[in-house]
This record gives sequence, structure tokens and C-alpha cells, in this order.
Amino acid sequence: MKFQIPIGPQHPALKEPISLRMTVEGEIIRDADLRLGYNHRGLEKLAEQKTWIQNIYLTERICGICSHSHTTCYVQGVEKLMEIEPPKRGQYIRYLVSELERVHSHLLWLGVAGHEAGFDSFFMYTWRDREIVMDILETISGNRVHYGINTIGGVRRDLDEQQVKHILDSLAILRERSEYYQHLGTNEPSFVARLAGVGYLSREDAIALCAVGPTVRASGVPMDVRKDDPYGIYGEVPFEVCTADTCDVLGRTVVRIKELFQCYNIIEYLLKNLPSGPVAVRAPRRAKPNEVVSRYEAPRGENIHYIKSNGTDKPERLKVRAPTLGNYAATIKMLKNGFIADVPLIFAAIDPCICCAERAVALVDARSGQERIISMNALKKLSRQVSAGNARKREAEWPL
Amino acid sequence: MKIGAFIPELLRHLFKKPATVDYPFQKLEVPRDFRGSPYLRPELCIVCRACERDCPAEAIEITATNEAEKRFRMVIHNDRCIHCAQCVDSCPTDAMQMDTRFEISDYDRHNLKMEWEYVRAVVKPKSEPKTS
Repeated sequence: MKFQIPIGPQHPALKEPISLRMTVEGEIIRDADLRLGYNHRGLEKLAEQKTWIQNIYLTERICGICSHSHTTCYVQGVEKLMEIEPPKRGQYIRYLVSELERVHSHLLWLGVAGHEAGFDSFFMYTWRDREIVMDILETISGNRVHYGINTIGGVRRDLDEQQVKHILDSLAILRERSEYYQHLGTNEPSFVARLAGVGYLSREDAIALCAVGPTVRASGVPMDVRKDDPYGIYGEVPFEVCTADTCDVLGRTVVRIKELFQCYNIIEYLLKNLPSGPVAVRAPRRAKPNEVVSRYEAPRGENIHYIKSNGTDKPERLKVRAPTLGNYAATIKMLKNGFIADVPLIFAAIDPCICCAERAVALVDARSGQERIISMNALKKLSRQVSAGNARKREAEWPL
Repeated sequence: MKIGAFIPELLRHLFKKPATVDYPFQKLEVPRDFRGSPYLRPELCIVCRACERDCPAEAIEITATNEAEKRFRMVIHNDRCIHCAQCVDSCPTDAMQMDTRFEISDYDRHNLKMEWEYVRAVVKPKSEPKTS
């Protein structure tokens, strides 16, 4: 006999509002369905009414954990539109903060994984050590969560000798602690037994369902934007893409721990080779009419911003594809044929950030109640039809 | 496989000092670049309105109270402020500054409003506003 079990939009197992409907047979999930839209904030529309500068702080607030990822992705795109290149030192500091953010995000995730697996001491220790990274970020940028370090054309704060020394000293402690967690995460029998074999996603499925970030890397696919399509300074920084081939939650844990060590190496490299010079160049207020797609490897996976300018000081369109959205399809696959008790663990393993991802397009027929996802081509056709007869936007003239 | 790999770590922490401080009685020092609340040094403000234009939260409001005397009024709505310090970056004369206070909550949002009334200063900007 089959039952449908709804989980969410408000549920203790989920940190953010999302609705899961699962068809179960006994304890086993046969089918799963995700409903989104409980956390939609209209950010993309708001971005069209704000200037390029103001939007930095808006995109920063898309997400709390990967705030720097969204601003960097946005700022990279805007710099391409404005045809400016930030100075080397500015770029080094920008990606230094990126890597520090990755460290803090992965340590946070390790804690969450420990918590979901019922290993709360692991959760508390990783979160305590996460404070070291948070302190570093605080000394660099002034604040713990929204660093506000990016500006168009570089960064807003410089590093001095004392800060560099402080980061390197703290890094030694972090490295030591991470080695301990690696040892623990792969040797503590109860923890390993809880994670191994849960949320299986084969290599073929991971590729077919377009999974991103640690989820796809844990299925043995070495996919990382930093290597595949190097942005910023990643072309000159030596690092490895970490993968695991167990295809389960344990693999995702291992990938994240391995990535921590890569992050420490990158941070060390950036600090030791920090060039001197200015940290920012002056940016124009307007951008020529153009469009750009900016890709960035956030801690959770590939983050994509599409930005279109029309010659004014405001973007005409800003589209955000957060990594969590890319992982939803894979999550449904992972949930199928698993146990209900594994739902929080599987769901936590993609490190979901609902507030990042809430921008799907689905059309619901009001009369029949039928829902359909509209294709990109149909959308394009629709948009051409709508804008065909209209005059151009009033402020859309390129002034120069 | 070893049983209880975590036990030595747990025992070691019995003898460590707590990581937290005794907050209301003992306060941590804020970092050098901490972004508190913005404030104005009216003797330096040339009313270029760069801060008003760049503020992402629309928290700064400059109005002319007397055009002939060049008197202006600036209101900072701290209840809207997102503490990004963009106004400090945009200001060409260092008239906007950030303080280091962090205990700024209040029962009434209107108490958070800060106001200055001043005569426009005649100061040469050090450089063009960074973002103009």
C-alpha cells in the first residue's frame, strides 16, 4: 500500500522552507516531489531598480553563508561589462576571501552532517573551529557574515603585514584540526556506518541530472569551474580537484574534507605571493549595452549570474542560478529507494540553501490546476512576442 | 577499526577554558575595519549627494532647508541602514565616517534616526567621488 507523506514547508528536519512530497511503501521512498516557492523574495526584480553599486550589497544578501560567492560572481560579470580589470592585489584579496569562505562553509557543513547523523560532539567541535575562520574574516573585512569586501573594480580593504601573519598562524591550527576531522570522519565506526551507502547517486546520473559542486565530485566526476573555466587568478594558482568514488553521503563528506586542505594550500599560496600595488581601480557609473554570463565555483557548486546592461547605471536583467537549484534534480534521484529516516541526511548532503535557489519558472494553469515547466525556447518566443510592439525603455539610450 | 576515536578529544576538553567571554560584563574589542553606524562630520560635507545616491538601503536623506543660506539637513535612517559603509567609500571629503558601536538596538525605530543641520562646507574634494 502506498502513502504520500508531506515534509515541509515548515518542518524541524529542514532549516528553510521547502515542501517535499514522498510516496512511500512502508519505510521505503518510491517517489519524491519537490515544491518550491516558499521563500521567493523578488530579488531579481529589485536588482533592476538599483544601480550597479547598490546591487553589490543586494546580491550579497541573497545568501548568508555564500554571500561572497554571489557578490564575486556579480562583480566579475559587471567588470566584464564595464571592460575594467581589477589590479592583481585586489584580485588576490578577493579570491583569498573566497577561499576563506569555502573553508567556513565546509566546516559548517561538516558540523551539520555530524548533527544530522546524530553525532553532536562532531558538530560542536567543527563549529568551534569554524570560529577561527570567522575571526580571520572579521579581521580582514570588519564583519563576520556580510564581508562587503567587493566593489566594482577591486576590493575595498587592504591587507597589512600583521593580518597576513595572523591568517598564516590561524591556518596552522586549522590544518591540524582538519587532519583530526579527516581521521575521525573516516575512522569513527558509528559515523561511517551512518553515512556510507546513503543517498546513492551514480556517476552517470550525476552527469545526466547536471549535479554541481561536491555532489557531482563525490560521484567521481572531476568538475570544478576553477579548473574547467578558470576565472580571476585561478589559472595561476596550483590546486587539485578533489573527488571521491563512493557516490554516497560519505563520499560527499570526504570530498569536502579534502577540499579544506586544498583551500589551505590556496590561501597559503595567495598570501605568500601577494603582489603589491593598489587594490581597486575606478569604475564607471554606466555600462555599455551588452550581456554577460559569469560563472563562479561557490562552496556548494557552480554559481551562475546572467547580467544584461542597457547603457544606464542600472542592470536591465540579473538572473541568478544558485548551486542548490542545480542539485534538486539529483536529490530526488538520491531520495528514491531510500529510507524516510535518511531524508534529512540526504537533503543536508547537498548543503541546500533555499533562499539562494528560489527563482524557478513554473506555470500553473488556473483552470485545470495543471502545472508545466516552460522551456527556454518557448520563453524566448513569448518574450519576443511581448516586446515586439513596445517602444524601447525610456532610459535605454547609450549616452556616449 | 578503533572504537570511540573521539574519547581522548572529549577528555582533553574537560580541562580547557571556555571559548566564550562573560558578555555583558566583558566585551570583545571590535576589529579595525568594523562597520558600525554611519555618522556625519558636518564641517566637511559639501553636499555632493554621493552618499545619498549610492546608499543601497536608501537610508540617507539630504534636503535643503534654506537655499539662500546654503543650509542643509541630513537624516540617516539607522533603522534602514544595512551597515555596508558604501557612503564612507563614496564620500569625497571624508565627511561620512563609521563608528564602532554595536549595541544599537532600540524599542522604537524612530529613536534610531540621526539628524544634522548645517551650512554647506567649502572644502576641496581630495579626489572625485570614487564611483562617479
